[in-house]
Amino acid sequence: MSLADLTAGETAFTTPFTVVRSDLVAYADASGDHNPIHLDEAAAEAAGLPDVIAHGMYTMGLVSRAVLEWAASTGETLRLTEFSARFARPVVVPADGGADLVVEAKVRRADADSVELTVTVTSGGERVLAPARATLTAN
Amino acid sequence: MLNPSYVGRSLPTTAPVTITAESVTRFARSLGLADDGSVPPTYLISLTLPAADPLVDDPEFGLDFSRVLHREQRFAYHRELRAGDAVACTVTVESVKTVAGNDLLALHTGVTDAEGLAAEVWTTLFVAGDPS
Repeated sequence: MSLADLTAGETAFTTPFTVVRSDLVAYADASGDHNPIHLDEAAAEAAGLPDVIAHGMYTMGLVSRAVLEWAASTGETLRLTEFSARFARPVVVPADGGADLVVEAKVRRADADSVELTVTVTSGGERVLAPARATLTAN
Repeated sequence: MLNPSYVGRSLPTTAPVTITAESVTRFARSLGLADDGSVPPTYLISLTLPAADPLVDDPEFGLDFSRVLHREQRFAYHRELRAGDAVACTVTVESVKTVAGNDLLALHTGVTDAEGLAAEVWTTLFVAGDPS
């Protein structure tokens, strides 16, 4: 596939993820972000949240994974050059069953050298990120 | 309330730290990313937020991290970073905006390696106003 074949507005990929509490424990250890609202129900409730929430950066990290997996699938050598997100709503992660996320990317702009994706993430049908943007550049 | 006189101020550049293969592996695995030695896209936050600690520790600035929510995050990658690279961080207070008694704090961090600027990281934090 050539990047120039991508059309603005087309869906590049839709990737589902399930997030469970142990994922957040692993991410806290890996990132050094040990804020208890991501690990402990009592701390989350004390902060006015309904339950434990995922780190915003965990969700953004899953978006990076979906983007990189898609990039690898294109057969082109692509490098991520810009990546941004705004955290709109918390991702609530119940102890039982966790949270289901759907990451969906649409092509915002594409030419022979680069592609810009607009990425939405929904949890329980609600958008948790104001659209994220990812720009990939062909090497 | 944050002290607006800090806008434009940069913290002293941190001492270079080597990005260890172990920390890259742990971070990549926690997100299910391929572990190929390249630094994961969001890994840099684990360096840039600690680099801003002097602001949290500075009573003159007034940043209470227990009232902080992460609002926005942006990365620009100028070249690939890999495990084994040594990087230093320079944090600058870009803006402080007060909206309805809450503060929005925008930080910019330049991440430099031996060749110069390798990445830039922008973080916007929402700091809830003190209810008292």
